[in-house]
Amino acid sequence: MMQNQFKNHSIILLHGVFAVDFFDQLKKKNSKEVFIMEGRPSLEAAQMNCRELLKHKITPTLISDNMAGFLFFKNLVKEVWVAYQVSDTDGAICDIGALILGVLGKRHSVPIYLSPSNRRTRFLGKEKELLSFKNKTVAPKGIRAYVPLVEWLPAEYITKIFTTKMDKSGEAYTIV
Amino acid sequence: MVNESPLFWPVKFVETAGKPSLHVLDETQLPQKLHYIRVKNTKQAVMVIRQMKTRAFGQFLVVLNTFLLELNKMGTHDDVGARSPMPLQRRIEETAAALNASRPTFPFSEVTSIVVGWAKQALAQNLNLKSFLEKNIQGFLMGIRMKRLKRVEQIVDVIKKGNSVLTHCNVSGELAMASQICKEQNKDVHFFATETRPYFQGAKLTCWELQRAGAKVTLVADNAVGSLMADGLIDCVIIGSDRSCANGDVANKIGSYQIALSAKEFGIPLYVLTQPSNKIPTGEDIPIELRDPNELLFYEGKKIVSGKVKGFYPGFDVVPHELIAGQLAVDPSGR
Repeated sequence: MMQNQFKNHSIILLHGVFAVDFFDQLKKKNSKEVFIMEGRPSLEAAQMNCRELLKHKITPTLISDNMAGFLFFKNLVKEVWVAYQVSDTDGAICDIGALILGVLGKRHSVPIYLSPSNRRTRFLGKEKELLSFKNKTVAPKGIRAYVPLVEWLPAEYITKIFTTKMDKSGEAYTIV
Repeated sequence: MVNESPLFWPVKFVETAGKPSLHVLDETQLPQKLHYIRVKNTKQAVMVIRQMKTRAFGQFLVVLNTFLLELNKMGTHDDVGARSPMPLQRRIEETAAALNASRPTFPFSEVTSIVVGWAKQALAQNLNLKSFLEKNIQGFLMGIRMKRLKRVEQIVDVIKKGNSVLTHCNVSGELAMASQICKEQNKDVHFFATETRPYFQGAKLTCWELQRAGAKVTLVADNAVGSLMADGLIDCVIIGSDRSCANGDVANKIGSYQIALSAKEFGIPLYVLTQPSNKIPTGEDIPIELRDPNELLFYEGKKIVSGKVKGFYPGFDVVPHELIAGQLAVDPSGR
């Protein structure tokens, strides 16, 4: 346990921007601990997911994108849900950051579930999106930035992909 | 010729008109301003540590220099120490206790106990306490400085020609200095720096000092590391550390564990700048500081998401030794 704050394997971790019906299903899980990754550079995942969770009367806990590993290391994560845009039997295109979660899930034997996103994003963001945060410059002038917004998550890191709703077996298929 | 980064030695002991103070580089003002905070006493020293005005090695320097500050406030060498050593020893012990309590993850007690030990030795041998401590602390700092300069050469050795190097947070000047030597050696190195939320040390400090050193550096989000590695864009990872364990585990800035694990997954060597210690058996035993969630939920006074949202902000990760390809060590105990 982490300073008695959280029980082992109690946290559901969300990454990416999910379709709205995902939250109806999540609510049925009655989880007390739902953690949201902020989703740099746009923070859209943080904003959208927090708004939907609050609407569903779930109080989210926000973490920075670099804090997921800590939760895994302390055995606090029960399952991870990643929003995907396109999938096939080899894997899925997800918001950037999914691969780190896949690697963590594999190492710590934590399931990585994929649920549809409600949007399609560009593959690359603009440099200026990363050079500032909430409209404040964070990097020195002249610094270059590389801003991938999506990445390929291979099937070996995915436990299950859900197509529309997560609890109807006819609408879900397993690829690993 | 290698130019020293201001982050390499970010704390200066200054005496103006007989009044001693520390000038501590305010890393939170970078890259906009190269500004030094004046620290006059232990209380202010603890504040600059707690408020993360300086980090990692800078905090270590603040700790040692705070003893010099307190010693100097006691008067000249001739009239203090030999004549009334007990009050001075008490002040040393009180200073040590205040610094030890400033941040839980940092092993300040490993350093302050050395100073307290010197004080006890001076008393036992009837030496002038003040001058004995000053000489020892200054010598100790000089030794650390030489070892860190040597480690810059070790960093250069692990970087091969044409390498792309990923780094996280900031390694206090050494990488920027190594980049200059790599350039002299025509190694054509490219650096990727993670932004390092929530304080952006990677964006603000690492990019700044690498750019200043003339290195090629690209900023990436913390969540882009897996993609970079999977795409073969990273040849090695170099990070610092704040604490070492007897079994070789280390503690470093939050985010280090997932970087280390990803590096292992994709067969990329991870090198860690360490300060070896055997005071803590394993990484599991390191107390991890949980910081105020508002440091994550707000940025420059603005809330980053609306609504009643909680935050969770662990300051450090443990990196298990099996994920580390090599440790580039500076032993602060002088061994």
